[in-house]
Amino acid sequence: MAMRQTPLTCSGHTRPVVDLAFSGITPYGYFLISACKDGKPMLRQGDTGDWIGTFLGHKGAVWGATLNTDATKAATAAADFTAKVWDAVSGDEVLTLAHKHIVKTVTFTQDSNCLLTAGNDKLLRIYDLSNPEAAPLEIAGHTSAIKKALWCNNDKQILSAADDKTIRLWDRSSMEEVKTLTFDTSVSSMEYVADGEILVITYGKTIAFYNALSLDLIKTVEAPAPINSASLHPEKDFFVAGGEDFKLYKFDYSTKEELESYKGHFGPVHCVRFSPDGELYASGSEDGTLRLWQTAVGKTYGLWKCVLPEDLGAENSEQMYTLAPEIKA
Amino acid sequence: MATPVSVLRLPKGPDPNSRGFDPKSPRFIALCRTSIPTSAGSEADVEQLPKEQHARSVLRESFLRCLLSVTNKKVQFHMYERVKVEATFGASDIDVMNFQVSDLHTPIGVQKEALIRCQDVISFSFDA
Repeated sequence: MAMRQTPLTCSGHTRPVVDLAFSGITPYGYFLISACKDGKPMLRQGDTGDWIGTFLGHKGAVWGATLNTDATKAATAAADFTAKVWDAVSGDEVLTLAHKHIVKTVTFTQDSNCLLTAGNDKLLRIYDLSNPEAAPLEIAGHTSAIKKALWCNNDKQILSAADDKTIRLWDRSSMEEVKTLTFDTSVSSMEYVADGEILVITYGKTIAFYNALSLDLIKTVEAPAPINSASLHPEKDFFVAGGEDFKLYKFDYSTKEELESYKGHFGPVHCVRFSPDGELYASGSEDGTLRLWQTAVGKTYGLWKCVLPEDLGAENSEQMYTLAPEIKA
Repeated sequence: MATPVSVLRLPKGPDPNSRGFDPKSPRFIALCRTSIPTSAGSEADVEQLPKEQHARSVLRESFLRCLLSVTNKKVQFHMYERVKVEATFGASDIDVMNFQVSDLHTPIGVQKEALIRCQDVISFSFDA
């Protein structure tokens, strides 16, 4: 019997959720951080969505948030012209890095020793976290605000996407631009998949996949509505996308076929990411919520429970309940 | 018609009274470095423990007595954005997240009763 997707809604934010990121898989599970315009990024348990803590300190909208691989550190980028590094176990603020304009994006290297930041001052900055007093390395080149910056190629290179409608690949040691991709319209999001060196880019209604090293195009897929964010499943069999029509779309990566679409959010979807084990994906929306969606609908995982028809009516099914269906698809 | 997938419960939401990061969680206990040696590992120096406990209770007591002595005194708060405001101190909440004050003098008038968010405060001073 076909099962209908039950998204799990994580409430708590009071304004749009603009960015989210998962950690790697740690001995305590995996974690999720969400960036929100209310200035209070939150840490949640990745497989259940349970709130763990709120990072208090920013004085403006938080535009970007990230966790290091073992979820011991978090970093956030905010409209208060600072990026902050946090202890993700205690919730304490560890470092404040002053910038000259709104900071939009932050990301750690794999060893968590360096932090890459970028934002409206059009500069990429690399901070050495073991020597935070030292001035960061700065890379200039973009001609408008940088929306997203990522490490790639084993942290030897940097990818950045800006409002100047370009995506640029930089070499970390030489700090020089290696390659540029130019688009007709601003890129709305960028995701880097290290295993396989794939870059997932969204612009307009398009989800495009590039080789992250050569920036050669692999394929493009058109969605029914303008897309703000997309994420590729770790096994590269699916990808999900969300955007202006409030829906989440699931596509087959090889055939490009649209497999499913899910309603649930009450506002545009700003960000979507697969969990590190690929069992679920999380979406953040203008409606102020995060929602968790199952990759394999009906599977027992996290808070979702597979109930076989013969179990319904049995004693143990009293513990479970089905959520009232939301707006009919 | 498709049956919606069952869930055990909804994800837990934020606690309105605290910022979270439960110090009793297994992850916190295992990973949080502490500046107090006897809290850190199992190789606790048995003689150190009562000394540290004593130090901790002395510090806590003097902090609480300090808060008691500020009660009903005129206090000047130095806050971010170059804000300096004067008020009469009332009380603090248990996590020191908010201070209750009266007669808060602001540039737009005197607020009879107000809550000051501790994270916004850099320092405050008063005459004992």
